[in-house]
Amino acid sequence: MSETALIDRRWIARDAERASTARFLLWLFPWVCLLLLGIYAAGLCFYYGLNQTNMDNRFAFGMWIFLDLSIIAMGAGAFFTGFLVYILKQTDLKPVLNTAVVVGLTCYSGAVAVLMVDVGQPLRAWFTFWYPNTHSMLTEVTFCISCYLLVLILEYIPVLVQNRQLRRVPSFLVFEHQAHKLVPVLAGVGAFLSFFHQGSLGGLYGVLRGRPFAYRQGFAIWPSTFFLFILSAIAVGPSFLMLVVAAAEKITGQTLVDFRVYRKLGFISGVLLAIYVAAKAIDTYVWLNVTSPRLGFGPWDYYSYWPFSSTFLFAATVPLGLLPAILFIVPRTARHRGLLLLAAALTCCGVLLNRFVMTVQTLALPTLPFDPFLKYIPSWQEVATFGGVLAYGVIVYSLSYRYLPMFEATKGEAKNVSLD
Amino acid sequence: MFPWTDGFHWTPTHIIFLSLFGAALLAILSTAVWGLWNTLNAFRKHLAAATCWRQNFGELPATERRCRHELAGRVPSRLCDHAFDCRTCPNYEKLAALPANAPASLAGVSYSDDLLYHRGHTWVRSDWDGTFAVGLDPFAQHLVGSPDAVQLPEICEEVESEGVAWTMVKNGHKIRVRAPLAGTVISTGGPDRDFYLKILPHGQPNLRHLLKGPEVAGWLAAEVVRLQMQMSNGKTTLADGGTLMPDLMDNEPGADWDAVLESTFIDR
Amino acid sequence: MSARYGMVIDLDRCTGCGACMIACASENNVPPAAPRATWRTGITPMLVHTLSNGKEGVDRREAFIPIACMQCEHETPCVSVCPQQAVELDKSTGIVMQMPQRCLGCRYCMTACPYHARYFNWWDPQWPPGMEHSLNPGVSVRMRGVVEKCNMCHARYHDALQKAAAAGKKKIDLADYVPACVEACPTGAIAFGNLADPNDPVTMAAKSPDAFRLLESIGTEPKIHYKTTQAWIRALADRNSGRPTEAQHV
Repeated sequence: MSETALIDRRWIARDAERASTARFLLWLFPWVCLLLLGIYAAGLCFYYGLNQTNMDNRFAFGMWIFLDLSIIAMGAGAFFTGFLVYILKQTDLKPVLNTAVVVGLTCYSGAVAVLMVDVGQPLRAWFTFWYPNTHSMLTEVTFCISCYLLVLILEYIPVLVQNRQLRRVPSFLVFEHQAHKLVPVLAGVGAFLSFFHQGSLGGLYGVLRGRPFAYRQGFAIWPSTFFLFILSAIAVGPSFLMLVVAAAEKITGQTLVDFRVYRKLGFISGVLLAIYVAAKAIDTYVWLNVTSPRLGFGPWDYYSYWPFSSTFLFAATVPLGLLPAILFIVPRTARHRGLLLLAAALTCCGVLLNRFVMTVQTLALPTLPFDPFLKYIPSWQEVATFGGVLAYGVIVYSLSYRYLPMFEATKGEAKNVSLD
Repeated sequence: MFPWTDGFHWTPTHIIFLSLFGAALLAILSTAVWGLWNTLNAFRKHLAAATCWRQNFGELPATERRCRHELAGRVPSRLCDHAFDCRTCPNYEKLAALPANAPASLAGVSYSDDLLYHRGHTWVRSDWDGTFAVGLDPFAQHLVGSPDAVQLPEICEEVESEGVAWTMVKNGHKIRVRAPLAGTVISTGGPDRDFYLKILPHGQPNLRHLLKGPEVAGWLAAEVVRLQMQMSNGKTTLADGGTLMPDLMDNEPGADWDAVLESTFIDR
Repeated sequence: MSARYGMVIDLDRCTGCGACMIACASENNVPPAAPRATWRTGITPMLVHTLSNGKEGVDRREAFIPIACMQCEHETPCVSVCPQQAVELDKSTGIVMQMPQRCLGCRYCMTACPYHARYFNWWDPQWPPGMEHSLNPGVSVRMRGVVEKCNMCHARYHDALQKAAAAGKKKIDLADYVPACVEACPTGAIAFGNLADPNDPVTMAAKSPDAFRLLESIGTEPKIHYKTTQAWIRALADRNSGRPTEAQHV
C-alpha cells in the first residue's frame, strides 16, 4: 500500500471493510467538482447580487425556497427517528440513527447555506434575532432552525469522536461517554423544535391572505398547512432515510441494516402518509368550498393554467400519496424490498410536489384580475448552487460512512459481506 | 428585542415566543455545558483513564475479550463483561476456585511465575520497599524489539490504572502502554534496564486483575495464535511455526502492525 | 389614527402617459434600469397597467390603471410577515412604512402582497456620471438586496411637518403634502387626501358608487380607491367575475 493509503487506513475502523483509497477518491471526485461549481455559483450571487438568478418581482421565491422546504422535510427523519428511538423506545431503529443524524445535519446546514445566498443581505441575518417579529412565521422558522442546527451538531459530535484516531485523544473519548447520556435530552428538544419549524414552514404560506391559493384557515394562529406540513414531514422522513441507506448499501456493496428496519420505517411512513392524505383531502375540500370562495377566488382561478391543472392535486393525493401508503402498509407488498423502496421514492416525490405547489404555484398564479400568468425557469446559478448542496450531502455522508461507525449497532449481528 | 430598543412593544406573543426559545436554547446549551463540565470533572477526579478504558474495552471483538478463566482452562468458554477488571467482578471468586488446565507449549514466549501480568502485556513485581516495578513482558518485547524512542513519565507524576504508563515509538507507530496499577512514579528505567517504571501505590493496591501462574501460559498461547492470525492476513507468515522470532516489527515490516499493536496493548 | 392618507384614482381620466411613474422614480431616487433589467425586475413603485375588455374591433375598450402600494389597513399582509419588523403601519399617517435599512431581503413581504406593489433591488444602483446631481436629497438611496415600495412620498410629508412645526402648528396643511405622482399627473386623475377627514373631497369620492378597490374580497382594506363610470372596468376588478382577461404593461 502506498504511504497515503496507509495513512488513510489508519483512520478507518480496524474491522471495517472499506474501498481502497484510490476508489474512494474516484467516487468523491465528481461530487467535489459539483460542490466547487455550486460554491462558484453562490460566489457569483454574493458578488454580483441576486440578478444572477431568474427570480423577479413576481417570483420573489424560486427554486431555492422550494428545494429548501423539500430538504428540510426530508431531513425530518433526523428528529423523528431520534424521537422514536429515545422517547418512544423503538430501539430496533438504532442502526439507522447515525445515518439520520448525518442526513439531518447536511440537510439543515445545506438549507441554511442556500438561505444565506438567497437573501439580499446575508450580513443582516442577525436582524431577525435582534428585532424579532413574533407574528411572523418566518421568525419562528429562523429561530427554530438555528436552534435545531445546534442540536444536530451536538448530536453529531459523539459520532465524530468515535473515529479511530480521534478517539485516541482521551478528552474526546471521555466527552463521548458523557454525551451519550445527553442524547435523549437533545432528542426531546429536537423533536419539540422540529415540530414547530416543520409546521411553520407550512404556516409561511397558510397565512398569506393575499394568496388565496395558499391561504388556509386553521386552529388559533396556525393555519391547516402548519399541521399538514408536520404530518407530511414525519411521513417522508423515514422514507428518505430508507432511500439513503439503500443507496449506501448499493454503492458500498454491503448489507448495512436488517430488512426488518426497512419494513418498520416503511410501516411508520405508510401510516403517517395515510393520515396525511386523509387530512389533506378534508383540508382541500374545506379550502375549495369555504375558505377560497370567501376571498373571492374559485378553483378555476387555480387550475386553469398549464401545467398547473388539477392533475397536480390528484397526483399528490393518489399516486404519490395513497399508493405508497398502501404499498407500505399491506404486508404482501411491504415484504418486497423493491416495492418498499418504490413506495419510499413515491412518497419523497409526493412531498416534493407538495412543496413545489405551495411555493412556485402560489406565486405563478395571478391575484389581480388583470395579471398575466407568468413563467419562471431557474438560472444555471440557482441549479448549480443546489447541485452543490446535494454534493455536500453526498460528500459528508461518504466521509462519515468511511471513517465513522455509522451502522455501529449492527456490530455482533451477522453481516453479509460481499468480496470486493 | 430588548425593552430599550427603539420601537419595542411588550406583547403576550413576544413573551411566550421568547420564553419558549429561551427555554429550548437553555436546554441545548446546558446539555453541552454539562457534558463538558463532566468531562473536566472526570479528569480532575482521575476517572478519565477508567472511562477511556471501558469505552475501548467495549470496542474489542469477542475473540479479544476472553475471560482469564477460560484461558486458564477453568471454564470452557466465557467472555469478559467487566472490562478485565477482576477487582470488582462478582464472579471472580466462584470461577477462581475451579481447577485450572493450562496448555503445554508456548511457542517460545517465556514468562515468570514470580511476576504478575497485565493483559496489556506488562509485568508487575512487588519489591521489598513497598514499590512495584513495571516492565514490558517478553511477548511485547519480541514484537517491538528495541524501540526508536521511549517517553517515560516524570518522577512524582501520577499514573492511573488502565491509563497510559509510558509511550514508545517504533517504525513510525506510537505505542501507548497501559498502566497495570495506579500510583506515583518513584523512579524510571527503560529498555536497557530491567524495569520501566517503579510505582508507589496509594495504600494497599488490589492486584486481583493481574494474571499469575498457569493462567499466564493459557493467555500467552491465545495471544500467539492471535498474533499469527493477524500477521498472516498480510503477506508474511511465521514460517518457523515453532518459536516466536524476536524483533518482529523490524523483521516483518509488511504486516498490519496497526492491528497487532492495537490488540496487543489494548489501545483502539 | 390621526390621519389616513389615501387616494382616489379616476380611471376615466388616466391617459396612460406614465408621468406619474417618471415623477415617482425621480422623487424616490430610483436608479436607471440595469442593462439586463426587464419589467419584472425593474423598480417601479408606481406602475401603470393596460386593461382591455378582451373584445376586438369597434367593441374593444382599453383603459389604464396605475398600481402602487395600496397602504392596506386591515391585517396588513406585509407587516405581519416581515421577520425583522422592517415594515410598519404608521398609525399617525396610515402609511405602510418600509425600512430598507432593516430589510434582510428575504422577500417574504413580496410573496405576501397580492397587489405586486413591492420591488426588490436586484442590482446595486448605478447612476451615469453627472446624474447624481439630480438626486433628491430628502430620500435615501437603497443598496441591492433590499425591498422597497411606494411610501406615499414620506419625505414630502416630513417637509410638510417641518413647515407646520416652524409655523407652530401640530398638524400639517394638506396643501403642503402632495405626492410626486399626484403633482405630475397632467389630467389630475390622482386625487390625494386624508380619508379620516369626512369632509375631505377624496373621502367623499371614495364613497361614490363609481368607486371601487382592487381585491376587496380579500379584506386588506386598501386605501387606494379607483373610480370609473365604465362598467367593464368594475367588472374586471370584481373577483367573482371568473377568468381574468389579457393585460399588458406600459
